[in-house]
Amino acid sequence: MKKQRYRDPVIEVYMKDVDRTLLRENLKLTPAQRLEKLVNFSSFAAELRVAGARARRAKKS
Amino acid sequence: MSTQFDKILPLLVNSDVEFILIGGVAGNIHGSARLTFDVDIVYHRNKANLERLVAFLHPLNPYLRGAPPGLPFKLDLPTLHNGLNFTLTTTLGDLDLLGEVAGGGGYWDLMDYTIEVEAFGVKFKCVDLPTLIKLKRAAGRPKDLESIAELEALLEEGDK
Repeated sequence: MKKQRYRDPVIEVYMKDVDRTLLRENLKLTPAQRLEKLVNFSSFAAELRVAGARARRAKKS
Repeated sequence: MSTQFDKILPLLVNSDVEFILIGGVAGNIHGSARLTFDVDIVYHRNKANLERLVAFLHPLNPYLRGAPPGLPFKLDLPTLHNGLNFTLTTTLGDLDLLGEVAGGGGYWDLMDYTIEVEAFGVKFKCVDLPTLIKLKRAAGRPKDLESIAELEALLEEGDK
């Protein structure tokens, strides 16, 4: 019989909002592929930050 | 600047630094979909490893993250020896060096709770998922609640 893990009731509330479809997609990848995905997304986020800053500056001027 | 995970991790390994990856990047390795901005490692605190860490960090211009510029900060062997946990910014991004971590202890305390990961052409130790959850719980930060929930869900999904 599988041992039941204790879970904090507060965490249980938060777990209802976890998007498991994203997790299931990630679990199909190898750990190395998951890290590649992080690197790509991180670069993408950095580019967006730069573009956002540029747009805010343009609006001010 | 975004943290260059694909450069920091191979450089740590190729510098022979003994470390265990924890934190958000470890969460990503286990399948987390959350974006993280720094690399957190628990490092072995023997003299040889401190020397390797200093050699690894020297070309990366490490500085205390969030500290005002111009402080007389030098990350050398005495600094590492006299300190324990350092939150740094480097030319490759943000890096947290932890001599000990709440709920997990030091490098050797965590060693039995690691997996070996191969990525970016190198192999390194990463804390396992149940221990990562334990560390996040022990940190006791409200901002980690969503993250813990996601990691618990990953544990459930992995058990299916």
